[in-house]
Amino acid sequence: MISHKNPYQPIGAELINIIDESPTIKSFVLKPEKPIIFEAGQFVELTVPGCGEAPFTPSSVPSQKDTMEISIMKAGKVTAQLHEIKKGATLGLRGPLGKGYPIDNFCGKEIYIVGGGVGLAPIRSLFLALVERKKDFVSIVCRYGAKTPEDFIYKKTLFGDWQKIDGVQIKLTVDKANGQWKDNVGVVTTILKPDDVKIANAVAVVCGPPIMMKFATLKLLEFGFKPDQIYLSMEKNMSCGIGLCGHCMLGKYYVCKDGPVFTYSQIKDYPKIWD
Amino acid sequence: MEPAFVENLKVLCDAIASEGELYIPKKVNSHYVFKLYTSSDDEPVLNEIRVCTPVKEFLFPIRELAAVFPNEYETQDVKPFAVFGLKDCDLRSIEILDKVFSEDDFKDPFYISHREKMFIISSDCTEPAKSCFCCLFSGKTWPDKGFDLNVSPVECGFLIEVGSDKGKKILNKNKQLFKKATPQLIQQRDENRKKADEILTSQNAEYRLNNPAQKVVESSDGSQLFDIEAAGCVECQACTRVCPTCHCFYLHDTELKNYYGKMKMWDSCMRMSYAAVAGGENPRKILSDRIKHRLMHKFSYYMQRYGIDMCVGCGRCIDAESGTMDIRKLLKQLNGELTK
Repeated sequence: MISHKNPYQPIGAELINIIDESPTIKSFVLKPEKPIIFEAGQFVELTVPGCGEAPFTPSSVPSQKDTMEISIMKAGKVTAQLHEIKKGATLGLRGPLGKGYPIDNFCGKEIYIVGGGVGLAPIRSLFLALVERKKDFVSIVCRYGAKTPEDFIYKKTLFGDWQKIDGVQIKLTVDKANGQWKDNVGVVTTILKPDDVKIANAVAVVCGPPIMMKFATLKLLEFGFKPDQIYLSMEKNMSCGIGLCGHCMLGKYYVCKDGPVFTYSQIKDYPKIWD
Repeated sequence: MEPAFVENLKVLCDAIASEGELYIPKKVNSHYVFKLYTSSDDEPVLNEIRVCTPVKEFLFPIRELAAVFPNEYETQDVKPFAVFGLKDCDLRSIEILDKVFSEDDFKDPFYISHREKMFIISSDCTEPAKSCFCCLFSGKTWPDKGFDLNVSPVECGFLIEVGSDKGKKILNKNKQLFKKATPQLIQQRDENRKKADEILTSQNAEYRLNNPAQKVVESSDGSQLFDIEAAGCVECQACTRVCPTCHCFYLHDTELKNYYGKMKMWDSCMRMSYAAVAGGENPRKILSDRIKHRLMHKFSYYMQRYGIDMCVGCGRCIDAESGTMDIRKLLKQLNGELTK
């Protein structure tokens, strides 16, 4: 729930660090006036005072309470302004908003995570939350893609520590390789294999650009995943964040309030879900 | 409580205006607008149909400050105010907005603060407009709930019906101004109502659907009718602005004097970039998709969420239309495709 009586009122958050993740993505480390306790997959509305507000899913682990990290790709007016902002600035935060991943329902299962590009940001939060209690799950199998090796975010951990975690298996791919790249080349669906997980006892989590989510979902269905086994983090124009303003409507759902995490079975019959 | 009788409306308006601001209908050319009542005004005119502007303006202003930064901002004290001349369609539109802004899991404190302070004096419709079609969506020419006081014109005066404790209090406080309504006057009121309802029913006979509107719109996949409507639409967005149930808004951040403000402003789902995201995707960049989405929201999505249609049949969208769209005709044509 929002901590304010006025749901449109942000609280202040000091920008304490900025990390360059890729040529177009930066991570912003924020220290909110008071901790914002969220679940992986929930989102916040980040205000650049006087410029605008935009929705982002934190990339930090929910158990990290005093600070919050948000990875942001330069895409529109607010994000362009954010990329110019210097450490020490005060930004505004509203949240947490929406429904995140139902992690408790994943217990005893294999978790098949498919991510692409900046979609790795919300997945990092989920991944770290899952790793904290990895004994609850049979395995965590990750498949990530980026345009080029430079475009991967969280390179240090993605290429390093995360690969060494027991019970975690990570495979990476790039659309276009450079000289040093030894792994797969191709879109993320080229590293999805039907025997990556035992589908009958698995859930899939897909997050990335809409086109990637579409083809990854179709691939998973082809492998035999049922629509209610596929969890999608939908990107729509979430403005008010509380199911009132109407911008993010996807069929009868307000993505901001009923999502942003949906199972494919919830939304598959609505038109243009990937647009 | 039996209705009261009053010979002129000024007496009633003066009594209500002594409690706070009162807005009354004023005729401008062929339409009515709301104006602030002052005691020096002449006898107010009772509007025979709904006022041109939607009642949502009083509850959800076109532009209001919703937050400031870095300081906190809470709702401001709204002084009690009264609106006179609302019709059954207006009252039903308030019921629809209440469900969204004050009864669902997230509440809008700005809407609620206006809503709590609003005193409603509704009145019977005596001459439905050609565009009125409330009878197709469970409406009628007179209200039976949702008001504090309701006014019905009769010979030589008006009957005043009480609909709430607040209304009863005003009437009791000004007892000396009102007489008891005679059974003859009540009968006359009922006959007037019946007459107006008959006009309404008769002019809308051709638009009556033989399927629920929800089924009609939900079965409209692939219909060419949305493309045909789009060809006649000039994207003026007037339909959504005058609609008393449309409630889309956007939050606009701006720099004010020595602080930053977040304004809450009306928006329209008919606007091309309404649903676009920063990355460039837009699920409804085609106009016919936006027209369909608006109908789906009104008759399917809202119905699924709250169990009623999000259209009260006031016909304002038809009057305000710069293009050719008539929502009654479109529903009827879609209904025709369904029954083929």
